[in-house]
Amino acid sequence: MTDTQALVAVSELSRTFDVSKPWLNRIIERETKKYLRAVDDLSFVIRKGETFALVGESGSGKSTVAKIVVGLLPPTTGHILIEGVDLADVSRVAELRKIRRRIQMIFQDPFASLNPRWRVQKIVAEPIRAFGLEADDAATTRRVGELLSVVGLDPRDGFKFPHEFSGGQRQRICIARALASKPDFIVCDEPTSALDVSVQAQILNLMKDLQDEFGLTYLFISHDLSVVRHMANRIGVMYLGRVVEIAEAKMLFKAPKHPYTRMLLDAVPDLEMTGRAHQQIEGEVPNPISPPAGCTFHPRCPFANERCRTEIPAAIERADSLIACHGVEEGRLD
Amino acid sequence: MSTPLLSVRDLVVEFPTRHGALTAVDRISFDIAAGEVLGVVGESGAGKSLTGAAIIGLLEPPGRIASGEVYLQGQRIDQLPASEMRSIRGKRIGMIFQDPLTSLNPLYRIGQQLVETIQTHSALRTAQARERAIELLSEVGIPAPETRIDAYPHQFSGGMRQRVVIALALAGEPSLVIADEPTTALDVSVQAQIIALLKRLCRDHGTAVMLITHDMGVIAEAADRVAVMYAGRIAEIGPVRDVVKAPKHPYTVGLMGSIPSIDSEHTRLVQIPGAMPRLTAIPQGCSFNPRCTDVFEKCRHQEPQPRTVGTADVACWLYDGATK
Repeated sequence: MTDTQALVAVSELSRTFDVSKPWLNRIIERETKKYLRAVDDLSFVIRKGETFALVGESGSGKSTVAKIVVGLLPPTTGHILIEGVDLADVSRVAELRKIRRRIQMIFQDPFASLNPRWRVQKIVAEPIRAFGLEADDAATTRRVGELLSVVGLDPRDGFKFPHEFSGGQRQRICIARALASKPDFIVCDEPTSALDVSVQAQILNLMKDLQDEFGLTYLFISHDLSVVRHMANRIGVMYLGRVVEIAEAKMLFKAPKHPYTRMLLDAVPDLEMTGRAHQQIEGEVPNPISPPAGCTFHPRCPFANERCRTEIPAAIERADSLIACHGVEEGRLD
Repeated sequence: MSTPLLSVRDLVVEFPTRHGALTAVDRISFDIAAGEVLGVVGESGAGKSLTGAAIIGLLEPPGRIASGEVYLQGQRIDQLPASEMRSIRGKRIGMIFQDPLTSLNPLYRIGQQLVETIQTHSALRTAQARERAIELLSEVGIPAPETRIDAYPHQFSGGMRQRVVIALALAGEPSLVIADEPTTALDVSVQAQIIALLKRLCRDHGTAVMLITHDMGVIAEAADRVAVMYAGRIAEIGPVRDVVKAPKHPYTVGLMGSIPSIDSEHTRLVQIPGAMPRLTAIPQGCSFNPRCTDVFEKCRHQEPQPRTVGTADVACWLYDGATK
């Protein structure tokens, strides 16, 4: 896949974790090494200025992708290209730092992602100092004040400690910190799932405003389909480390193709109270250490046949969407 | 009108501190009819879980019921001694907690826990109780209950554990189940299964449910009536359809607007400015007044009392004298 507007291109990304018992236990209990394939052969492209969302249930590997994309975890195999430059090929530290400055991350838990012993001023100024973006302390302080007002806080809040803020305000501080290095690309890992719904609305609106103002590109990770619907231009649905479907947000919600996507959409509580009947899907996400053979969704899929049980479906491209399902490929499912 | 199954009158829950008592639940009143599902929705700190805990007598000290009355089938239960309360808990009121991992004992097999609960509330012998436990497990949709009954909680997945917890809650055949965020720890596909299960079981057994959650979607799916709580008070209580489709209290309006919808296009979410006040700083008058868009002078001084507006009871001065 080549795309001229691609800001981030992830290709054939895989990440395995060693979850074996310690060496001695393995010897005594005669066990082999165990691996967990958190991300399996994942490819997607994020275009400049768009919000690309990854949705999935727990254990689908979406947070692992986020960590790999920002460079907090090395991939086992595969490449991440930022504007065509492979991060793994950049050997000069100065150049790597230049790229790193442009990528920032917002984490899920605003209570864990701020240093409780630092004043907000120092927290937000950290990227500025780390990348040497301002000439002196006075300029840094001014810039922090600016950033705090941008996210809807008072510049004087810089003198407070994180514990003096509510969850929503803390997430605003996290956003201010992410913006401090003037990034173009922000990875948001469940940025609102620790927040109440009215506060979530504030943060989502803020993130949209900032995107318009600074031309940001988001990789938005969430388990909440209605939040994703609200934020994303394109959506990738993950199941057990694999992408099952990538499509324009509008298309995905109007005409979901993959049985798993259909199931996920159907499971969302119906706030419109149309009284639509839910299609019951049995079972839960299997243990990722020993995923089912073939299509990993087949034990829960009402349309599974023999081929689904043995052969891993390859992603096929269809009119700007990507789908990995034998049923769709064979035309059994429309 | 017949006596409601549960009747809560002017319930006040307080936490005494060095700087005076903090009122976490402030004079709330509501009824639950037999077989009815009442949703209690609100954001963190609204007092919804404390209300549930107060009813079932599981308030963590120093929290205490400062005043008010709780009636179960006409019998007052908020002042009962601990021993009598223990016989009501599990037998007449079942409880489902948020985290299925912490509400099961990890050191006992599922069967032992079920048998213990069943025998506490009935005179069944162990073998009969075990039969009953298997019955319950199959009723909540656990495959192969005859073998799974001897498994430990860690051998179950999150959704299966929550099913076991539901089986435990129903073991004493209570007439009311208080479910405190029963699906919050679960994935969305499992959540749908658990909601469907809860609805089916309660319909079959005629059990009433007090469903406490922060998720309006869950309420819309499962509840008959809903109480919207804000800062320890009920802002609005009424039939689910009316509250969801045509909310009356400005807080409910804002809350509904702030939920991103799966069916609609990208629109800007309604934003309620600010956050819920802390217990130490609940504003005078209507507790929502600093965040309210329709606030006027009276709201800042006088606390609105719930009054009937259409099908719902709303505590808001906007509806003062509107319909009565």
